[in-house]
Amino acid sequence: MSADASDLSLVRRVQRGDKGAFDALVLKYQHKLVKLVMRYVRNPAEAEDIAQEAFIKAYRALPQFRGDSAFYTWLYRIAINTAKNAVVSRDRSPIEYDLDRNNEESYDMQGRLKDSETPEGLVLTDEIRSTVNAAIDALPEDLRTAIVLRELEGLSYEEIAAAMACPVGTVRSRIFRAREAIDHRLREVFEGGLGRAEELG
Amino acid sequence: MNEELDSQLSAMFDDELAPGECELLARRLSRDEQLKARWGRYAVIGAAIRSERGVRLNPPLAGRVSAVILDEPALATAHTARRSGVRWWQPLAGAAVAVGVALVSVLWLRAQAPLAGAPLSAHLTAPLATATVPGAAVVPAAAAGAPDSYVVPRAPAVRAVVPSTELANYVVAHSVFSSPVTRRNLLSAFMSSESGAAAEQPPDEPEGNAQ
Repeated sequence: MSADASDLSLVRRVQRGDKGAFDALVLKYQHKLVKLVMRYVRNPAEAEDIAQEAFIKAYRALPQFRGDSAFYTWLYRIAINTAKNAVVSRDRSPIEYDLDRNNEESYDMQGRLKDSETPEGLVLTDEIRSTVNAAIDALPEDLRTAIVLRELEGLSYEEIAAAMACPVGTVRSRIFRAREAIDHRLREVFEGGLGRAEELG
Repeated sequence: MNEELDSQLSAMFDDELAPGECELLARRLSRDEQLKARWGRYAVIGAAIRSERGVRLNPPLAGRVSAVILDEPALATAHTARRSGVRWWQPLAGAAVAVGVALVSVLWLRAQAPLAGAPLSAHLTAPLATATVPGAAVVPAAAAGAPDSYVVPRAPAVRAVVPSTELANYVVAHSVFSSPVTRRNLLSAFMSSESGAAAEQPPDEPEGNAQ
């Protein structure tokens, strides 16, 4: 098993002209990248714009990516540079100085108001979060431990196997079954959420 | 959907799938929208568990990036176009080069042949043997008409200057640095050569190299 083999196989496909493989990379890293960018900008919508720009820059620079470092490390560097540049250009913009940056609450609120998120989008995020939490609570103990150790602590299957005193294959199976159980509930939310968004739209 | 496939997808998402399997699944993932949606939900589950504050769990980011990239040329388009443009004549070019090389070789050999009708192997082997290996003996063909000859390198026989007792002491003294198997082989080889025949040693090898 080699670390980053999954990303590398997708990256190689993109380099050979398969745009669909890049969608998978965006889907995998979009949350992490937005979270990273939010260290530099507080507005979630702006963070998403910067993350989008970073992904597009990464796509265009992929022919130069040789795989010397992990893909996500490379992508994160691009995102950080993009965010820094965005902050510099925003600080030069006179419009943005209208924000009361001394008052954090006010700044946060204005960011919220500027956010292009629709109310149903915010509701959907909360709904997704509560659904996932409820689904995790309903999991059997062994599945819950496995998925939490993986997603929250970032442990490898081998480390989880050592922690849970079971074979690596069992860890893989437990994580998969946990995801399946959560995904089963999540699909309903997504379908319901999309339906509700259409009604509101 | 196939449970084994989904299990592989889950492992691939965690970078815990073998590279060979990753290659196959990556191909399918890039084409199968249902599989891609599941992959995306796995990312949402992870983000929800980590409670990434302020991060939307259903951002339209992927769709927006995909739309921008759709208008861009595929990364390998130009390269592929170049390759497909030259592909049809590549076999013909290869064959032409091979025929050309063969023709030139035949013409050159004919021009070099001093005696018409002499076997080709005679021209090729005799000068080569005398020119390149000074200490080699050319074995003549056993019978007239034998097409090939070969060269036997002559092993120079040089009498050892080290007396056998001294050599034995030397071997034993240095054997502590060698493995037991090597030591045993060396000693047994040495003892078998003790029967009176002069020990032979390669002329270029210094005595210090012996173990």
